[in-house]
Amino acid sequence: MKQAVRTTLFVASGFIVAVAFLSLGSELITPGNIFSSLTGSGSEIDRSIVLGIRLPRLIMAAVLGASLAVSGAVFQSLLRNPLADPYIIGVSSGAALGATVAIVLSLAYPLVVLSSFIGSGAAITAVHLVSRRLRMGSATLILAGISVSFIFSSSVFLIYSLTSSEKVHKSLMWMMGDLSMSRPDLLAAVSGASVILMSVAWIFHRQLNILSFGRSFARSHGVPGSSLNTLFWTASLLAAVSVTAGGIIGFVGLIVPHAARALFGPDHVKLLPASAFGGAAFLVMADAIGRSIAPPYEIPVGVITSFFGGIFFIVYMMKRRAPD
Amino acid sequence: MSVFEMKSVFAGYGDRNVLSGINLHIEKGEFAAVIGPNGAGKSTLLKVMAGDLAPSSGEVLFNGRCVCEYGAREISRGFSVVHQFLDNVQAFTVREFVGMGRFPHQGFLGIESADDCREIEDAMEITGVSGLSGRRITDLSGGELQLVRIAHSLAQNRDVILLDEPVSHLDIMHSVGIMDILHDLNAVGSTIISVLHDINLSSEYCSSIIGIKEGEVFLSGAPADVLRYDLVEELFGTVCTVNTNPISGKPFVYPVPGHVRKSFAK
Repeated sequence: MKQAVRTTLFVASGFIVAVAFLSLGSELITPGNIFSSLTGSGSEIDRSIVLGIRLPRLIMAAVLGASLAVSGAVFQSLLRNPLADPYIIGVSSGAALGATVAIVLSLAYPLVVLSSFIGSGAAITAVHLVSRRLRMGSATLILAGISVSFIFSSSVFLIYSLTSSEKVHKSLMWMMGDLSMSRPDLLAAVSGASVILMSVAWIFHRQLNILSFGRSFARSHGVPGSSLNTLFWTASLLAAVSVTAGGIIGFVGLIVPHAARALFGPDHVKLLPASAFGGAAFLVMADAIGRSIAPPYEIPVGVITSFFGGIFFIVYMMKRRAPD
Repeated sequence: MSVFEMKSVFAGYGDRNVLSGINLHIEKGEFAAVIGPNGAGKSTLLKVMAGDLAPSSGEVLFNGRCVCEYGAREISRGFSVVHQFLDNVQAFTVREFVGMGRFPHQGFLGIESADDCREIEDAMEITGVSGLSGRRITDLSGGELQLVRIAHSLAQNRDVILLDEPVSHLDIMHSVGIMDILHDLNAVGSTIISVLHDINLSSEYCSSIIGIKEGEVFLSGAPADVLRYDLVEELFGTVCTVNTNPISGKPFVYPVPGHVRKSFAK
């Protein structure tokens, strides 16, 4: 019963966040006008803002938020580390290097996206190859991830030291997270990939439950190494897809799974959908704030998530610690 | 045919061999205790049996077939393991946790069959944790959690159970409670192999004792035959006395403290 109330509140808050997102911005649109735009009536201007600009961006924010949160939830269970997040194995540094190289070479936007995806893929592959030699232990994965992160980040800084400040600025803006490039082709590719990857993670929810108790526990239940690899790649690719499409958006993948665990328990059959929904709502809300807090400027969404996410997390920890 | 058979098994971590030439048999229906000093290789022995650690040389057979030939799921249906520790305890309910033991028996979708439910309920009944069903395992006492972990392993498999120090950190009531459960299971056909630190519990409950010293089998046999003061002293490198429990008639081992030894020598 309590669970049902929680779920209802959860879904309702997501709906409110989505409506707020569509109405907020440099042009305020009332919920009534949003509804008429969505159903095809309403004024031409409202329709083009809602359907042409805000709705794709809303979907992009939701998809990326969900991907990051699911990726974080999987990594936290796989590595049995509450500090694990989607970027723990160096995906973000790999993507940053890829994007920076493309930006410095003044390549077109689609190539920046492609290059950053290749960069993150290289990071995942490197971590996988290093860890595989050491039986994919969680400490090994984390340390390999940190090492790969350092190598890629220092390469980015090396490029910065040799290039013009204008390009450095462009690359930095990319890293801070930007959802304004929600082009239909990118949106379709990202949504498709994310939905498939999240479904794979969910199909493995029982293996994740068992893996969250430890490797030897998993082995004595016949969870094979291949499940571990599948989950590692699924979570890593979710992170890669989101960082490629939206830049480095921090904290969503760290706090949302924690909040989902506190509300819905550790069973991944519920934890993963709850994380996906919570991550989507959180990122949509963060972007709504970023777009409307200081118009006509847009504050990068990564700045908002990290700033408010940090405050939220501290409050959450203080409340959790209170009983002891 | 032995349930487990090890033929000159060497195993260890990196270049260091912890087990150096282990030969042993575990027969069906045996209740075997593995004893020995810290670092002798007891846990490593259990890991090698369970297929958790591959031997560097030698052979480990389970039901006559090399452990290495079994698939991951197949072997986890053959026996259950209660590890010494859980790396991480998540806030699942007791029922959910015990239910996870059925994982190797379930299909791709993991739907609990009537069989699964019966096994889970039986396992909780045997260990007396049915009343804890809805509690979170993170809220249990050490003794309760250990009972739940045994229930979990019973739900997985009741024919052969491997345990690594199942009672080391428990009070005497919980220790005896768990050993009683294992005894009753053994009486109805379970083969049980447990690493134990308490020599006297091994003596009271087990049908055979395997003493491991420096990676080799130092002694092996029925408690009455192998728990002699000279053997136990050499196995553990200490001084002790062995007597008979007047109620059960089993040998019991008592250590002789250092200061008593000194005053005795005078």
